[in-house]
Amino acid sequence: MSESSVPYSTHRRVQAFKGFLRQFLGHGGAQLGFVCLVCFLVLAAVPNILVGPLQTAVNATGDFLVPPSGQHLLGTDEVGRDVLNLVVHGARISLTIALLATVISLIVGATVGMTAGYFGHWADVWLMRLTDFFFVVPSFVLALVITPVVLEVMGRGRDILGFRPSIFVIIVVIGLTSWAFVARIVRSQTLSLKERTFVDRARVAGTSNLSIMLKHILPNLVPQIAANGALVVAGAIYVETSLSFLGLGDPLQPSWGTLLALAQRAGAASAGAWWYLGAPGICVLMVSLSFVLIGNALDDTFNPRRRVIP
Amino acid sequence: MSQHIGRILFRAFVTLLMVTTLNFILFRVIPGDPSALLLSGARISVTPEQIEAQRQSWGLDRPLFPDQVVDYLSATLRGDFGYSFKFRGRHVVDLILERLPATIALVGLAQLIAIVCGVMLGLYAGWRRGGAVDHVATGASLALYSTPSFWVAMILVVIFSTALGWLPGYGAYSPGANSLLDYLRHLALPVTAVALGLIGQYVVVARAAMSDVVSEDYMVTARAKGLTNGQMLMRHAFRNAMLPVVTLITLNLGYVVAGAITVEAVFAWPGVGGLTVEALNARDYPVLQGIFLLLGASIVVANLMADLAYGLLDPRVR
Repeated sequence: MSESSVPYSTHRRVQAFKGFLRQFLGHGGAQLGFVCLVCFLVLAAVPNILVGPLQTAVNATGDFLVPPSGQHLLGTDEVGRDVLNLVVHGARISLTIALLATVISLIVGATVGMTAGYFGHWADVWLMRLTDFFFVVPSFVLALVITPVVLEVMGRGRDILGFRPSIFVIIVVIGLTSWAFVARIVRSQTLSLKERTFVDRARVAGTSNLSIMLKHILPNLVPQIAANGALVVAGAIYVETSLSFLGLGDPLQPSWGTLLALAQRAGAASAGAWWYLGAPGICVLMVSLSFVLIGNALDDTFNPRRRVIP
Repeated sequence: MSQHIGRILFRAFVTLLMVTTLNFILFRVIPGDPSALLLSGARISVTPEQIEAQRQSWGLDRPLFPDQVVDYLSATLRGDFGYSFKFRGRHVVDLILERLPATIALVGLAQLIAIVCGVMLGLYAGWRRGGAVDHVATGASLALYSTPSFWVAMILVVIFSTALGWLPGYGAYSPGANSLLDYLRHLALPVTAVALGLIGQYVVVARAAMSDVVSEDYMVTARAKGLTNGQMLMRHAFRNAMLPVVTLITLNLGYVVAGAITVEAVFAWPGVGGLTVEALNARDYPVLQGIFLLLGASIVVANLMADLAYGLLDPRVR
């Protein structure tokens, strides 16, 4: 036993982490995604400093549907708002929704997957039936019927942390409908982890089930959760954009999807206003591609045998 | 084998039951009882007799469980999904059935094009891994995969309809015209938008499947036996690589229809997606839930087909 156990040392941890970073950032895709993502996070963090407060129909600074020019780098929309201003403020809403929804879905997915895998028997059977349902029915389709009802029940209230309640409804609905993929992966990993010696040893030492799950199994799941978390974010962006495009977004705090919905309603496509619908769409494409690239690089770093994309 | 099919059927049944249960719960979570909603939603268009008939057929005056649940399930099984708020109290089933052909045309054609182009391209990219086609196809499909289809649709409208004026970007028929050619011209852009999104997915999966197969031992054996490239591809690689691809294509149906909903919204295509948007804007819950049930049912059927097809394709499952 003793010769197979590795003593804990901070130095070794730091070395391992550096090795991981070197390998992860060795992927061209990961570098690209990482840089792109940092740029968007900066936009989302301080939109007011970069482009001033969010413009509305009242304080719009330009003419209607003006093509990009020196004064308006990305043109203006149908009420004269600067599109650059809208897109930068949209980054804050879109990224907040996507990231918070992912946190919820990772927590639910990891909890369900670990419980099912660790306890087995009937817990496994019933939790996996539930997971199958959420796995089979796309998050977007579920969110499409659930969101309007929840909005009607509790969409009107005070702002929470500067965000409107309808934004939180979307976050929670996306989070609670997109965890099935994570749960499946966590379960299969837990199944193999719980047979390992260190879990037996902890159990013999009298550690409780909850403590084994949190202290011994969860840390070993971090690689899978991280790699899939990046893909869950990309999925959440897709669902949020689609829901907002269909009119479930909040026009007072427009995300990129809401901007695309406004552009569609204003007839931007048939008016040839490519800048109005192009800008938010390219943002969605870049952010979601970044997360896909990062997710793939993480997956490849942790698990080089199962690479999907070069 | 029969046990296998039994298990598959049981799972399908459970999924459908959960879709129906969710519908039941959602409709009762909305403030006010369903018949009051019918009243407030469409006071002019729904007659009091219809509401009374609805109340009785749903048994709203009786306890929630088991009476209402059982009644709801039996009404749903009979194909009675209630009346629409928006469309003058028409039956939800009639509304959906009327819109279904346009969506089937859109999704079917897009799926066909995507399968032919995407799978071929993906298999080729995986077969010649690291080549020029591989790099271009993988990069492009990753970008397509990360782009919402409806945005692709909007860009297509800007380019091919507004700027170039080649194809119509709105509706299914030109006023006055009623020919097949006119319909196909209207279909071109929506189908392209849905197909492009799918091609992205299929290329990635087909490529991964093919590059897994290429590194298998039996491929080395085939090479050692002296088979030509073409023989190796057709006899060994192709059939094995198609397994995961076929599963994906059948399982994908839910996502295809979901993507088509937003694309239909861009083109005001008179299909189920267009109906979804109208129902969403009017908060027409019976129609929304009818669509949800239809989607759920078609996803379950697609899953059944995937499981059964897998059994046919892979002898190990039997």
